[in-house]
Amino acid sequence: MSAPSAAIALESVSKRYGSKRIIHDLSFTVEKGEIVGFLGPNGAGKTTTMRMIAGFTAATSGRVTVAGFDMATQNVEAARVLGYLPERPPLYDTLDVSAYLRFVARVKGVRRLAIATELDRVMAACRLEAVVHHEIYKLSKGYRQRLGLAQALLGAPQVLLLDEPTAGLDPGQIQETREVIRAFGEHHAVLLSTHILAEATLICRRVAIINDGRLLAIDTPAGLQRALEQTNRVTLQATAPASALREQLLSIEGVGAVDVRAAPDDHGVLTVDCQVDARPGVEAAIARAVASRWDLHRLERRQPTLENVFLQYVQEPSARPGAA
Amino acid sequence: MSGTLALYQKELTSYFRSPIAYYVVAVFLLGTGYFFLYNVFLTGETGMAGTFQNMGILLLTLAPVISMRLLAAEHGAGTAELLLTLPLTPWQIVAGKFLGAVTILLAITAGTLIDLVPLYLFGTPETTTIVAGYLGFVLLGMACLAIGLFFSTLTHNQIVAALLTAAVLLAFWFVGHLQTFQRSPELRGLVGYLSFALHFTDFIQGLVRTEAVAFFLIVSAIALTLSAGYLQWRR
Repeated sequence: MSAPSAAIALESVSKRYGSKRIIHDLSFTVEKGEIVGFLGPNGAGKTTTMRMIAGFTAATSGRVTVAGFDMATQNVEAARVLGYLPERPPLYDTLDVSAYLRFVARVKGVRRLAIATELDRVMAACRLEAVVHHEIYKLSKGYRQRLGLAQALLGAPQVLLLDEPTAGLDPGQIQETREVIRAFGEHHAVLLSTHILAEATLICRRVAIINDGRLLAIDTPAGLQRALEQTNRVTLQATAPASALREQLLSIEGVGAVDVRAAPDDHGVLTVDCQVDARPGVEAAIARAVASRWDLHRLERRQPTLENVFLQYVQEPSARPGAA
Repeated sequence: MSGTLALYQKELTSYFRSPIAYYVVAVFLLGTGYFFLYNVFLTGETGMAGTFQNMGILLLTLAPVISMRLLAAEHGAGTAELLLTLPLTPWQIVAGKFLGAVTILLAITAGTLIDLVPLYLFGTPETTTIVAGYLGFVLLGMACLAIGLFFSTLTHNQIVAALLTAAVLLAFWFVGHLQTFQRSPELRGLVGYLSFALHFTDFIQGLVRTEAVAFFLIVSAIALTLSAGYLQWRR
């Protein structure tokens, strides 16, 4: 697991707060030159994991390394090669934008003569030129978020951790910010957490799905979709005797589990979820088989969008295919 | 080292871009000015002893105000997450913060030097006694600020940090009064030794005792070590 080349490596990492276990046995790596998306519902443990990688909190057990530095013992060394945007942009309201960035640059060890150039670079990347001398407490939410990102980019860190970097931005700013991250990710390692699936599909090479502090899957967006195609679903509604309908459906090739539900106010209309495999024409076969004997009201094949993939993983951990 | 320096400068900027520094300077200098005038013109004192005594008590109320924001504000605003993930050791953070607060202390102390002008113009005060008093005041201030810094690392809430600091400083100031109630000489010695007021009185009277210097430095060192240790531990 811990290839020395990995920019970020987690090995069986767990985190407890008191008796509550927040993160369970989490292992994954992020390589140089890739952007990995960290997907999960609120409270899944994304921020805690980010904080452990950043060195803000220590893992209860397991090992976190950043650029080869063990975060338990060498977090100061690691901090030199790390840029971190926490969920809440860490801004000093009493400073103005340039004083704030200058402070972070100096602490990160940017050479004095290089500081002005470095500030210009990150302010251009994050479109902050218009507010250079503004006091931070006067900035809008979008500017605050981008200033937080600018701070993380200072000193061209090898590893960039972004906790929901596009939160609070308008669509135009989201576009620009994604471009900044994408460009940066070409030569550095980026781990970004988000609950926007489109974002993960657009800019991430791989996506890690986490829920309840457990890693459910890590793969390319396309790979995750492919893995889920085996458990593609067809949902249909029909008026039919439940047991006969079930038998009929199970006899069709390509249909796995069948779940028949009857809603009390539907006057005998059954709702059925069928798990089907990826072969084409399954839904047509189902439609023929049902419609030839009973009334078929509705039939829908659910596309394996990343949205569905995500929900599938998060809601039914037992139903997931043997990925990752 | 440059990280500590950058943090120190950020602290000073933060102090002077918020009302706190101005409040502290104004209250301290007005208060000290009043006590000085009172002591010199109404009681006819020709030294600084009485004024130093009053400065000490004024400091007990102002040190918590100086120190309360040091780390509590960082926890509260979420900037602790930046500060603790920058390439800074806990000791560098504590040093930068503490030096920032001590600079405010030195600034208000320097402001009181103006009181010496009439003293030297119209009288012949004992210079050594005055120097000893100032040394004691700065040492006392350092101990108060170090204790304040420690309480500020413990909480998100600046008010809580200030209240805890004030309570502990008052206890250290007045603990000497318990001597009256102690029968055992050991306990009398102990409460006397712990008293900020008794040690500070030595300095005011012109006595620079190694024991008193060491006492304030050790209190500061313990409070700073606890602060750095806590920052490390809470990870």
